[in-house]
Amino acid sequence: MSSGMARKTRQVETRMVSEYLLKNYSEFPYMMNVPLGALPSDILEKEGYQRAIKLLRPFRPAVDGVVILPAHFLVIEAKVWNIVNGLAKLPLYRSLVPITPELKQYMPRDVIMQLVVGWTNGNLEVMAREADVELKVFCPGWLEEVVEGMHNYWTREYRELREKKLRMREYFGVE
Amino acid sequence: MGVLENYVILETGIPTRLHFTDHRIQRRTITDPITGEAGSRNVLVLEVDRMDGRPVIAKYSTMSEKHAAQFEPYLEEKRYRDYEFTITRTGEGFLTQYSVSVVPKT
Repeated sequence: MSSGMARKTRQVETRMVSEYLLKNYSEFPYMMNVPLGALPSDILEKEGYQRAIKLLRPFRPAVDGVVILPAHFLVIEAKVWNIVNGLAKLPLYRSLVPITPELKQYMPRDVIMQLVVGWTNGNLEVMAREADVELKVFCPGWLEEVVEGMHNYWTREYRELREKKLRMREYFGVE
Repeated sequence: MGVLENYVILETGIPTRLHFTDHRIQRRTITDPITGEAGSRNVLVLEVDRMDGRPVIAKYSTMSEKHAAQFEPYLEEKRYRDYEFTITRTGEGFLTQYSVSVVPKT
């Protein structure tokens, strides 16, 4: 990671969606990690809007990205692992967009959906068409290594290499 | 939100619009509040020159790798200079989340 922030874990999908948005939609306003859905009216009445937003944030689903296009909300999920989960979430998330208070100022707009993946396969493409989701493959150089590692994850060679790397990290005290 | 000792402090749930001019990665020694053990962490520090449309001289810093990853594509060539970022922090501790809106700078 060029920022030098990464340790054993890597925020791959967060970086992926941020880079994808910057490269493809930088002329439009967009948001990352957007909570979706309405706030229950009883909590809203009791606590007020600002406090209700804070209280309910952990319980609301969040979509990776929303682009404010001239006539549409473009709702984006970015996935490297569990790509079918990303696809499955999108139509459900779409249903919440029109009732999301954080997006109210931009309404009315139709909702379109994109699944951004580091790799694809024929079955995923069939399912995406069926779900009315546009599929985009986005795999910059730094992500290729991750995708390759994922595909090799269960091979003996990769497992041995990974164990060796972890041993060396421990030996040198690298976090 | 406000500025405390030159650092932007986000108030939970309140969106804050920031414009950044520069950044660096700092290595800091942090004491884990739960275990009490000291460890070193990388911190992304961004220089802020405007907050909610008002001129300021301040810094915005984060230790959250996930939040830093939201800025990562903008660090190269200091692309963040061309955008304004509205950041909303929600939750506390391990549940802290950051929603970030990005708008081209006018």
